[in-house]
Amino acid sequence: MDIKNNEFYKKWFKNSYTYVAGAVLLSIMQIVTLASTGNPWGVSGVFANWGAWIYEAIGGSVDKWYYFSSKGAQATLEAGFLNHAPSMRNIGIIFGALFASFAASQFKIKKIKSKKQIFAAIFGGLLMGYGARIGFGCNIGALYSGIASLSLSGWVFAVFMFLGAVVGSKLLVKYFM
Amino acid sequence: MSKEYELDCMGEACPVPLIKLENKLNELEVGDLVIVQIDHSCAMKNVPEWARKQGHNVEIEEVDDGEWEVFVEKAV
Repeated sequence: MDIKNNEFYKKWFKNSYTYVAGAVLLSIMQIVTLASTGNPWGVSGVFANWGAWIYEAIGGSVDKWYYFSSKGAQATLEAGFLNHAPSMRNIGIIFGALFASFAASQFKIKKIKSKKQIFAAIFGGLLMGYGARIGFGCNIGALYSGIASLSLSGWVFAVFMFLGAVVGSKLLVKYFM
Repeated sequence: MSKEYELDCMGEACPVPLIKLENKLNELEVGDLVIVQIDHSCAMKNVPEWARKQGHNVEIEEVDDGEWEVFVEKAV
């Protein structure tokens, strides 16, 4: 029979889940993460470690960098990529998303429409990465996990992220429309 | 006589397709049709959602892997 028209396939793989379903799943995963690793969920801090490992692989050293100066940070770098649970989780997110787009047969390599897009992607990525590091977290580690841990910092982050989103939207309409 | 327009949003990420459609619909008459071509699955969710909430008639067609055409008929 044709899998494309299978109710079960459509429900689980093809159609996007509702926001409520997503929220419930995220909450359950968040609890599992905290219970099994002892740390709340975070995403962007991992990329700083990836950067450090890549930098070390080509002969650099981050021993003297303030960001990696704590004993914990050094121990994490020392233990390596394969022993870093958050790295495995990020790999899971990337390949999980890839699998989901294949499963829904919606995978597509998108063309770049304009030079503006390249500039915006690079500039926006740098700003987000830099902001996430000096803010000690992104919208997951600082906002989502912060609020889930009943920390006031998560709410402060939310207010300023909202203000940033307002400014970002104005810039987008001004330069991209 | 109602007219038909194509709105090329291929390669455009959210929320660009939505804002483009909103601007386009503002120029049009009731009964006109806009075919929004998109290849970002997030636009496939928020474009029809927004248009239906505004009261327009919406239909979605999956034209290829990861490519959609959203038909929006201006109703209000």
